[in-house]
Amino acid sequence: MTIKECYTRIGGIYENVLGRLSSDALIRKFLIKFLSDKSFSDIFESLKAGKLDEAFRAAHTLKGICQNLGFDKLCESAVEVTEALRGGTNNTTPEMLDRLKADYEMTVSAIKELD
Amino acid sequence: MGIENWKKRSVILIVDDSEMNREMLAEMLGDDYDTLEASNGEEAIAVIKANEHEIDLVLLDIVMPVMDGFQVLNKMKQYGWINFIPVIMISAEGYFSYIKKAYDLGATDYIQRPYQSYPIHRRIDNTLRLYNKQKRLLDVVEEQVYAKEKDNRMMINILGNIVEFKNGESKMHVHNIQTITRLLLQNLVKISNEYTLSDNDILQICTAAALHDIGKITIDDNILNKPGRLTPEEFEVMKTHAAAGANMLKGMPVYQEKGLVHLAYQICRWHHERYDGRGYPDGLKGDEIPIAAQVVSLADVYDALTSERCYKKAFSHEKTMEMIFDGQCGAFNPLLLECLKNVGSGIAKALDIDSKSEIDRYMIAHVAEEIVDDKISDNSAYRSKLLAAEHTKRVFFTTDIEEIQFEYDAQVGTITMSPYGAKFLGVENNVIYPHQKENDFLGEKRAELIDSLHATTPENPDIEPFSANLTYKGETREYKIIARSLWSGDKTPVYTGALVRIVDVANSEKKKL
Repeated sequence: MTIKECYTRIGGIYENVLGRLSSDALIRKFLIKFLSDKSFSDIFESLKAGKLDEAFRAAHTLKGICQNLGFDKLCESAVEVTEALRGGTNNTTPEMLDRLKADYEMTVSAIKELD
Repeated sequence: MGIENWKKRSVILIVDDSEMNREMLAEMLGDDYDTLEASNGEEAIAVIKANEHEIDLVLLDIVMPVMDGFQVLNKMKQYGWINFIPVIMISAEGYFSYIKKAYDLGATDYIQRPYQSYPIHRRIDNTLRLYNKQKRLLDVVEEQVYAKEKDNRMMINILGNIVEFKNGESKMHVHNIQTITRLLLQNLVKISNEYTLSDNDILQICTAAALHDIGKITIDDNILNKPGRLTPEEFEVMKTHAAAGANMLKGMPVYQEKGLVHLAYQICRWHHERYDGRGYPDGLKGDEIPIAAQVVSLADVYDALTSERCYKKAFSHEKTMEMIFDGQCGAFNPLLLECLKNVGSGIAKALDIDSKSEIDRYMIAHVAEEIVDDKISDNSAYRSKLLAAEHTKRVFFTTDIEEIQFEYDAQVGTITMSPYGAKFLGVENNVIYPHQKENDFLGEKRAELIDSLHATTPENPDIEPFSANLTYKGETREYKIIARSLWSGDKTPVYTGALVRIVDVANSEKKKL
């Protein structure tokens, strides 16, 4: 799969990302890197441990990355979870967390299929 | 000549807890700038502290663990860095309250994620240019003010010294008066709220003090330089020098009701007044006497007592204090007497040649900064603070080093010796002109040193150390001469001088053991 095809699959706009990172090689580099990024898992670990501030930060970070890398679909669910955790309160629902998981899996599996 | 020509690459600190974010920014900026990174606020502060004068811009995230972006801004304000290091916030947060808070805390710009790299790059570029230009202008202004102040002081001192020379005074008299006056004034400001004097005010008074006895040129030589005590009639004539000096100043076209000449007028006319009103020429009492005149008066008395005259020996510091506090040598403001008590024990040391030109330079640099600050009221004058800090370190570390060290300034042609060096060579002044015959202590080795220095380049500024047998006070010893040439920081560097160490071989061997 090419990078452009990948973005179509994950619901992002390739041209926007190109404007930010200026080269395919760079985009590829960061896409691969995203696979080892811990923000997503940090959200759930922190929630389990009851550390709401850390969960918020992780969600916020994930949101930032999604914005940078143009993961528009994953970004929506990340934003939802971020706002639900803002201010140190846990207003997340199982539905939104499931949505987040699903979007994340979808994004990651698409990246894994890159040439 | 653009700024980019001479400045090295700018350094940008990227602060973000997300490694990916940091990497993206570093990648974007890496071609044009050098980057440093920090993953949270605390780290960022540590990095800035260690590189205060190298960092040209900070890209700051808001949401971070340990210390967030707002706290970083607070810290930067606390340390004063916010005044000369621009901060651009880069955050995914778009809430108006966040944006406003960042700007209120001193951020220069706010960039929201996701961003486009080209405009961001240009914005960073523009911010750096703006700040660089500001810094450079400030430097230039400060340099100018510093040079002007230095020149002014030098001219007045020359004038003062000429007059004192004719009076038969010791050649250190002007310097002594100025030093003691400075010490008294600095202490006065410390212990009392009555007198609000800035460093500039103090410097002005000290400068004007050089002229306190110019009236004496109207006094007949027979009286002025009479080897014995003056008769009452002769003393009456002598007393006229106070008003005479003042009248000379007042009659000059440059005279104004404020400023340096006015201070000189006050000091000239009233440095022989007494706090109890029994002085001359006008019998002013208490605080009718301008503070400048009061202080110089006390300094003058102290110096007279501690100096040798044809009709008396020099009194010790203790005896002098006794006499002054006994009221034997005039009546003074009790507040000033307290100042004298506070600084008294430090006077001898301060007068010691070693500290002379160093303090002057520091004070003048500090005053230059004050003047510029007043006019601009933006405290970015970090360069002279840097200078002053470096200078303090140098004096501290070299004061007791038993090695002859000196710095040669090629533009002015002077040699500045380290304290030990001056003492060892028995030169009174630690700033000397090498072309004067009696200062030619290196003898024929001087040519060799100069040749060695001429062979150096900016890339290789150190000479090949060579040994020399030099004779001082009849004793010939072996020395090793080590030197490094100094160059200006321009694109085509210019030779500005050299640093030289003359190491006593036998002594240094002894120390190694």
